[in-house]
Amino acid sequence: MAGTLNVVVICGSLRRRSYNAALARSLPAFAPAGTKLAAGPPIDVIPHYNADMQNSTGFPTSVNAFADAIRAADGVVIVSPEYNWSIPGVLKNAIDWVSRMKDQPFANKPVALQSCATGPLGGSRMQYHLRQSLTSIDALLFGRPEVLVTFAPQKFDEKTLVLMDAPTIDIVKQQLVAFEAFIRRVGAGR
Amino acid sequence: MADTLNAITICGSLRKGSYNAALARTLPALSPAGLVIKAGPPIDAIPIYNADVQNSSGFPAAVSALADAIRAADGLIIVSPEYNYSIPGGLKNAIDWVSRLQNQPFANKPIALQSATGGPLGGARVQYHLRQSMVFLDGLVFNRPEIFVGVAQQKFDEKTLELKDQATIDIIKQQLAGFEKFIRRVSGKN
Repeated sequence: MAGTLNVVVICGSLRRRSYNAALARSLPAFAPAGTKLAAGPPIDVIPHYNADMQNSTGFPTSVNAFADAIRAADGVVIVSPEYNWSIPGVLKNAIDWVSRMKDQPFANKPVALQSCATGPLGGSRMQYHLRQSLTSIDALLFGRPEVLVTFAPQKFDEKTLVLMDAPTIDIVKQQLVAFEAFIRRVGAGR
Repeated sequence: MADTLNAITICGSLRKGSYNAALARTLPALSPAGLVIKAGPPIDAIPIYNADVQNSSGFPAAVSALADAIRAADGLIIVSPEYNYSIPGGLKNAIDWVSRLQNQPFANKPIALQSATGGPLGGARVQYHLRQSMVFLDGLVFNRPEIFVGVAQQKFDEKTLELKDQATIDIIKQQLAGFEKFIRRVSGKN
């Protein structure tokens, strides 16, 4: 798979001053030359999943926009907080909607995970739940290095929310380099 | 004779013809004399969680209603489908909102889990993810017997959606009887 790769970034937090949103915003600057990262469509406008709605009025516009962005991308990076030791409902709801589509957007799609948390585990419980969930729709989950940003308030500038911590920046860069290689390897048939 | 206990059900599916909603509706008739079961407030009226909304306009009325109903109940029964090997986004979103309240509604609350699915596992994966979230919230999750209604389409009447499988009815009765004892033991409500 030659040429520049396009990767879409999905963020699981809606809060303006979210550390995860800040991390997601920082990714384009840390990407290797062959990967272009851009923010995906918003997920907060996606209604609660209801199969009756799907069957009567079809997929909402916001779900189609989200699905099309995933389909068009060579890879997806999900950056999300951990809520109650699992996936935020808003992010899971977006995945639930998209999971019902034909021409499944996540199927065989390379997906990398990142999370920030204020505690010492860095969102790992959320990431392993996402890994289980995305198995159901046959996503190709990138393995290592994992990006688990612990004690986030110490790693971002308090005012600007710019990522300041050098070891974190290094591992993020390493992941994005390896993710590009992963996409070129596993996405070769696309 | 001890006092009657009150439990509420929360259903993770919004679909009218949902097997899980049908299962939740059958519980009042299958409960022991000392346990009265009623449907909890709807969760589809709860907006997508956003900490900025919480901080600017407070908790939405739908969240307060759900939280109050959980606080007022002696026990909670969550009946939910499994979406993508995990918790439905709509249900997780409701839990995420409630999790942010002081006087935490889930803390020390006896909670029983039930799930129905079209496949053979009966929703085991949603239940174990829910158990993990409830550890964080300090809920008292009831253990056995577990209710996993696999191959649900063979266990409910196709037209009326009435639960007709005797083995399933029996194990639900056992769970509800066990849950009543569990509530009395852990809450000291003898």
